[in-house]
Amino acid sequence: MADINEKIAQLENFIMKKCLWQFHSRAWDRKNQNENILRMTAELLCGETVNTEDPADRCYWVDAVYLADSYRERFDWLASMSKDEIRELFLALRERLDYVLVDGSLNEELTDPRY
Amino acid sequence: MPYHEFECSKCIPERKKHAVTKGPGEDLTHALPLGYLNTIPGSISERGCAYCGAKHVIGTPMKDVIHISHGPTGCTYDTWQTKRYISDNDNFQLKRTFATDVKEKHIVFGAEKVLKQNIIEAFKAFPDIKRMTIYQTCATALIGDDIDAIADEVMEEMPDVDIFVCNSPGFAGPSQSGGHHKINIAWINKKVGNVEPKITSDYVINYVGEYNIQGDQEIMLDFFRRMGIQVLSTFTGNGSYDDLRAMHRAHLNVLECARSAEYICNELRTRYGIPRLDIDGFGFEPLSSSLLKVGRFFGIEDRAQKIIDEETARWKPELDWYRERLLGKKVCLWPGGSKLWHWAHVIHEEMGLDVVSVYTKFGHQGDMEKGIARCEEGALAIDDPNELEGLEAMYKLKPDIIFTGKRPGEVAKKIRVPYLNAHAYHNGPYKGYEGWVRFARDIYNAIYSPIHQLSFLDISKDEIPDEGGFKTQRILSDNGLSEEVRKSNYMREYTGSLDIITPLREKTYPEFNKKP
Amino acid sequence: MNCELKTKERTGVINPIFTCQPAGAQFASIGIKECIGIVHGGQGCVMFVRLLISQHFKESFEIASSSVHEDGAVFGALDRVEQAVDVLLMRYPDVKVIPIITTCSTEVIGDDVDGVVIKLQEELLDTKYAGREVHLIPIHCPSFVGSMISGYDTAVRDFVRYFAEKGEPNGRINLITGWVNPGDVTALKHLLSEMQIDATVLFEIESFDSPLMPDGNHVSHGNTTIADLKDTANAYGTIALNRYEGTKAAKYLEKEFGIPSIIGPTPVGIRNTDTFLKNLSRMTGKPVPESLVLERGRAIDALTDLTHMFLADKKVAIYGNPDLVIGLAEFCLDLEMKPKLLLLGDDNTAYAEDPRIRALQENVDYDMEIVMNADLWDLENRIINEGLELDLILGHSKGRFVAIDHNIPMVRVGFPTYDRAGLYRYPVVGYAGATWLAEQMANTLFADMEYKKSREWILNMW
Repeated sequence: MADINEKIAQLENFIMKKCLWQFHSRAWDRKNQNENILRMTAELLCGETVNTEDPADRCYWVDAVYLADSYRERFDWLASMSKDEIRELFLALRERLDYVLVDGSLNEELTDPRY
Repeated sequence: MPYHEFECSKCIPERKKHAVTKGPGEDLTHALPLGYLNTIPGSISERGCAYCGAKHVIGTPMKDVIHISHGPTGCTYDTWQTKRYISDNDNFQLKRTFATDVKEKHIVFGAEKVLKQNIIEAFKAFPDIKRMTIYQTCATALIGDDIDAIADEVMEEMPDVDIFVCNSPGFAGPSQSGGHHKINIAWINKKVGNVEPKITSDYVINYVGEYNIQGDQEIMLDFFRRMGIQVLSTFTGNGSYDDLRAMHRAHLNVLECARSAEYICNELRTRYGIPRLDIDGFGFEPLSSSLLKVGRFFGIEDRAQKIIDEETARWKPELDWYRERLLGKKVCLWPGGSKLWHWAHVIHEEMGLDVVSVYTKFGHQGDMEKGIARCEEGALAIDDPNELEGLEAMYKLKPDIIFTGKRPGEVAKKIRVPYLNAHAYHNGPYKGYEGWVRFARDIYNAIYSPIHQLSFLDISKDEIPDEGGFKTQRILSDNGLSEEVRKSNYMREYTGSLDIITPLREKTYPEFNKKP
Repeated sequence: MNCELKTKERTGVINPIFTCQPAGAQFASIGIKECIGIVHGGQGCVMFVRLLISQHFKESFEIASSSVHEDGAVFGALDRVEQAVDVLLMRYPDVKVIPIITTCSTEVIGDDVDGVVIKLQEELLDTKYAGREVHLIPIHCPSFVGSMISGYDTAVRDFVRYFAEKGEPNGRINLITGWVNPGDVTALKHLLSEMQIDATVLFEIESFDSPLMPDGNHVSHGNTTIADLKDTANAYGTIALNRYEGTKAAKYLEKEFGIPSIIGPTPVGIRNTDTFLKNLSRMTGKPVPESLVLERGRAIDALTDLTHMFLADKKVAIYGNPDLVIGLAEFCLDLEMKPKLLLLGDDNTAYAEDPRIRALQENVDYDMEIVMNADLWDLENRIINEGLELDLILGHSKGRFVAIDHNIPMVRVGFPTYDRAGLYRYPVVGYAGATWLAEQMANTLFADMEYKKSREWILNMW
């Protein structure tokens, strides 16, 4: 399972089946969710602590913890990855989600200027 | 080809982009049905109106309020007692409906005076209720009555009452969804921030987008209370008007039905910095992870874990009993707006059901994204379905059961497909752990109904079997099961009682001391 | 000690007895075969009415919407009607009759539905659907006038007026039943058949009780055909059983085709059924047969078991469709009961002139109130705050909480009766209806006695 695309697909598929945070209703909101939650998930998988003082951050963080815990449980190939590899993987995952959920999305409401 | 063309809709080609079959290896960028567009006249669509979305869905669950429609009586009659949103206020909001009875002369001369009289009469008839919501209807929107002005006048004259005005006439949008949006925005603009609540806990949430159908909210409230979380307000199931005016003081908005209430969550986030956490209250795993997330937000995830462990231990054997017997059964998941995505994945995972189709009556493309993401390959996703398309889909897909509204359920019944009420449930509530088992039980009883089985026999043509005088659900369901499953000591049928809500109302909860 | 006629004192409605006109027009439309109506207005006007009807019958009926949205409200929505007709005709090849039912919104914005029908006839129907039989019938029934009752009355008239066509006399009478249940139609047809009278029944709704079959789709629909409607002009008489639900059509036939009409009585109870049979006999020359004497005898036998023992002096409140309310009140009086409160749910000024109501005012010899333009709070308020004591409530299911919260036994009658199983299969008219009603009332009182442990032992030996 060396292929990074295969890994991204597994991570993405889990998010699509189990999570809701990625489906806010505006493009900018989705990008924001993707950025924060995936960054934090990567940090957690790398054993780093996440700053959760700000309520908004804490809210991203609870979703990130769920992701990190679930990923660790399901995908043992994560355990053998280095921190750099994990960060790289998650950057790619974020790009992928930005594409599926925003840039490539057929949802015409995402670009509505009103909230 | 991901877009699905119905035979019966070939003559209205614009329908083609409203249905998609999820293909293998496809993602949401390949095909997504259009959504929330104007309805095609004459199509016999399932949609309702914006007044319904505002008054019926979101407004009327508020339990300590006089709900009055400014217009002819029909709108209020139609939205009276037709939902199962109970309350612990003796169902005041279910039993009582009010209308200003606008007549022809009012259409000509205006109805503001009669509105004012009505408001005063209503408060007089029910002196214990000091809160009111007034809903505009098509008629009064068109004649231009200034309901807000009248409400303000009355509030001046009667300082102990508060009145909320919602201007969402039936034609204001392609469907109910237009009404959801209007009432969300009106409520936060006019009422949120007007009341300072009593804070009784370190952990304060609003529970948003939950309407207490058959007691769903009370099930969830029980979990939150067991964790020592103060549910400042519920928007709006079993909800109190004044609590909802204090929404701005919560630490977190826990959102269930994003379709009807994400608007107010988004505004609360923008205006007050309250974060929005989307959860699923349906299904063991989604509910457990949702409770953990809420708990973790407050640093009390251990309390959440305790509840999860207790409930799972108690109810999983029963869920699994039904799961063994529902494996591979095909279902059309055809609700209004959000249950298609709340349920699509989890009924497959936890009950073994095969979701062959999802649809949304009034949802937006976002709901379709969620639904298609969560369902399996091969599922047919339909936006704004109409009756002929529904029939065609059922003939083609041959589901064993359909989850939909009461009246479309009658349509399904005629072609021998049993239905469960996705909006108001059969024997609910369906949220929570026990509730989820109740749902599984209803599905089981519907699919394995001996009478339903009899409906397939044509006594004039088919061989009438020599089977004896009766069958049971188990005889029908346990046919192909292994010995191990059938004789399992671990799994069992549902052992709960008929009414699981009344005991909750009498329960006491542990005190969790506030931090000094 | 007397019967007073009054009007509700409050301005507004709390817990309405009726819904609005378009619902009545829609209910009339589903009685016609190959008919799918288009309700011109917001989607709720159709969606809720379809739900209401489906609650009552536990069946779904086909009615369409023109789906007026915001732009329609501003700029007019006639184009939606045109599109709706086209879409309906394309997708339902069997549809022949399409009433265009207006609502408050489209009446207020002033959409000229009559005009668009003419336009459609000249254009769309003449080109795309040339050669196809299509009948577009405008029915004006905004919700700010009358109620579902007047909407029904108007629609029946509009259907008859559109179709009635002079031809050869058909040897039949027209029977306009009013807003009844399939069980009522069965009972009425039975009486006609015993009298050997041929009738065009408006409307043939027995088929509403449709089956679940091993194959096919036996969706509920009415069975009154276009030919039936056309032939109404060739009857030698019309009987409209419910004064407020069919008089307009009967009077139209009388005026236009010289067909004599008899209005009423609603054949609830023995006496009114007797009168119905007398009217039938007079109109057709057919005698009342022995078989009906037997039936009547069986009914009276059943009733006398109940009257002086259990029903006498029982205080009743009655609400619902006006003819039904009056018929039930009259029957209850014959049964020695005491109707104390009759609620007529809309502001029809004709109630004050109704000879049956006059008769009640003149002859009832105890305190009774008849309230016009009433709502269900008129009932409940009297119970809670004005000391009204009742032994029984007769009314439809929307009033169920009054009975439940105040522990008053209730027999569901009228429309809608969704909180009891299968009531639409039973008659309240004719001798069969009289028996059924009285026995329902008795059994309901008995269950209540047992629940409250109030002389329940008396039933041991009855």
